[in-house]
Amino acid sequence: MFHLKKGLTVLSALALTFTVLAGCGNKADNANASSSDASAPASSSSNPASSAPVEISFYFTGSQNVKDMWDTLVPKFEEQNKDVKVKLVYIPSGTGAQPTYDRILAAKKAGKGSGDIDLYEDSLSTVTKGGKDDLWDKLSLDSIPNIGNINSKTMDNVSHLAVPYRASAVVLAYNSEKVTTPPSTLDELYEWIRNNPEKFAYNDPSTGGSGNSFVSTSIYKDLPQDAIYSTDPAIQKDWDSGFATLKDLGKYVYGKGIYPKKNQGTLDLLANGEVDMIPAWSDMVLEQTAKGQLPATTKMKQITPGFNGGPTYLMVPKLSEKKEAVYQFLGYVMSPEAQGIIVEKMHGFPGIELANMPQEIQDSFKGVSEGFRSFNIGDLDKEITKRWQSEVAAQ
Amino acid sequence: MSKTMKMGMLGLILVIPSFLLLFVIVVIPIALSFVESLRNDAGGFDLSRYQFLFTDKAMRSNILFTLKVTIVSCVIVLIVSYALAVYMRFSSGRLVELIRKTYMIPIFIPGVIATYGLINLLGNHGWLSRFLLLIGITLPRIIFDQKGIIIANLWFNIPFTAMLLSSALAGIPNSVLESAKDVGAGRLRVFFQIVFPLSYKTFLVAATFVFMGVIGSFTAPFLVGPNAPQMLGVSMEQVFGVFQEREQAAAIAFFTFLLCSVLGYFYIRSMVKEETARL
Repeated sequence: MFHLKKGLTVLSALALTFTVLAGCGNKADNANASSSDASAPASSSSNPASSAPVEISFYFTGSQNVKDMWDTLVPKFEEQNKDVKVKLVYIPSGTGAQPTYDRILAAKKAGKGSGDIDLYEDSLSTVTKGGKDDLWDKLSLDSIPNIGNINSKTMDNVSHLAVPYRASAVVLAYNSEKVTTPPSTLDELYEWIRNNPEKFAYNDPSTGGSGNSFVSTSIYKDLPQDAIYSTDPAIQKDWDSGFATLKDLGKYVYGKGIYPKKNQGTLDLLANGEVDMIPAWSDMVLEQTAKGQLPATTKMKQITPGFNGGPTYLMVPKLSEKKEAVYQFLGYVMSPEAQGIIVEKMHGFPGIELANMPQEIQDSFKGVSEGFRSFNIGDLDKEITKRWQSEVAAQ
Repeated sequence: MSKTMKMGMLGLILVIPSFLLLFVIVVIPIALSFVESLRNDAGGFDLSRYQFLFTDKAMRSNILFTLKVTIVSCVIVLIVSYALAVYMRFSSGRLVELIRKTYMIPIFIPGVIATYGLINLLGNHGWLSRFLLLIGITLPRIIFDQKGIIIANLWFNIPFTAMLLSSALAGIPNSVLESAKDVGAGRLRVFFQIVFPLSYKTFLVAATFVFMGVIGSFTAPFLVGPNAPQMLGVSMEQVFGVFQEREQAAAIAFFTFLLCSVLGYFYIRSMVKEETARL
């Protein structure tokens, strides 16, 4: 009897364990099931008789403001287009943009279509890279009439493989109470930094684009103009003087060589008055000044030659099976209405030509939405941050 | 089947689920990253990634920095927590009640929020420096410095460690302490010959927890640490996510694992000793 009882206890313990384990298994199965669900409408989309909305998966990355913007934009689109649903997949910046690209590429190589990614957002370097790997669909005026709103030169630059839906640039943000005559060239900026020790800060270039832009602009300062479009590793030997300057500036920047993490890190320092000038993304400065997080005395200026800047692009993987629905969505995104929301939400420059936007929006971008340069140095960026870490940070 | 054999089988069956879990989520990943870390640039296998860890100046200072921060944090956390636990065990009064009720609060505050709180409190233009400025003291740099990481570690680790230790101290019967006092033992003697030996095992457990928690920490060192040298967790993330050198990141990870296993060895040894003593 005693043995029986003990046996029962053991049995029930085992049963419990297996139920739990099986539960885990089921969950995985469910996940599989739902991903195959997601691909199911793909086949039905070719069938015009089906009335179920087509769901497209849209992978995007960026800071919180980018997510907020899409969260506003997508419901508005779905309201007007009952036949398309957009599934937003947000990948916080710095965590997984590269794996998303690798996923699309791997899916193509494995013959698995586009890996359930129907629309992808990233910067110029990814457009170029995907162009070489033949990943992106060519977008034409016929399929998306609203492409006509975009500057045709911008479209030609990316060989119609992507649409620029918003843009922003790195600018100098400064406290106009403390700085009356902001520098207008890189040399003047260096001079200002040396004359005002610990009043300038740029963020760790591996953690955010604004610091990254300051570093790359400095490194490419004395190089030929076209060098910023070159992905040739041979150029690395010409970086020495730039790194020497950055190393020397270390003594004069905030905390004698403290580089805060993330784009927000330096903005926080500007907000609480610890520094008076920083390189920063124009959209972040505009947004935070509007919300009162930065003092109203904060002003922006682009230097010549300009910091990095440029559009963020939307790309359609060539092998996506739901292109019609994606085109419909892209058409909406490039409409003046949606662009207005983007400008209002993100304070980014519109992706379509300013002339297509209301006058007040055109005015608000005067002086900032021009003069920036679009660096396209590919993987060399990785080398820059690596070398910066060992030579400038760890000096 | 004999009875002992049956019991043995039963024991094995009961152990299998937890063993499998351990195998899948701990042993296999460690083995995989070890293999990964042996891969060199050319695709072959050698120890070049580990060689880099000790020959690269920046990497070497990262390792030394991590060890320094970890050891200093461990020592301070253990001293403060033990003192707190002893105080809570052997004192009474309203202050003790208040401490007992509140010392766990940090556990319930998310790490990122606590870290930003510390930045606001201890930063150059933070609250503390503004108060101190009124009486003419300039605060040394705490944020973006190792001091900041250590303070954050204290905040994260003291509550849990104090909880562990006070449960160990609660297990010491009053009768033992009273009888010791009755035969004339002084306070210090009671502490060193009775209280500490009886809670020593938990103390070791707590030390292991703090050490492993601190050496692998990321959030606080990332947000309040200096740009260089970095804690290994921050460096690992940078090598993996930004430089995208998976093999090198695997080598750092495996090295961190080795550091932890040194402590794990002492921990397991003391456990085994105890088990054999009991048999």
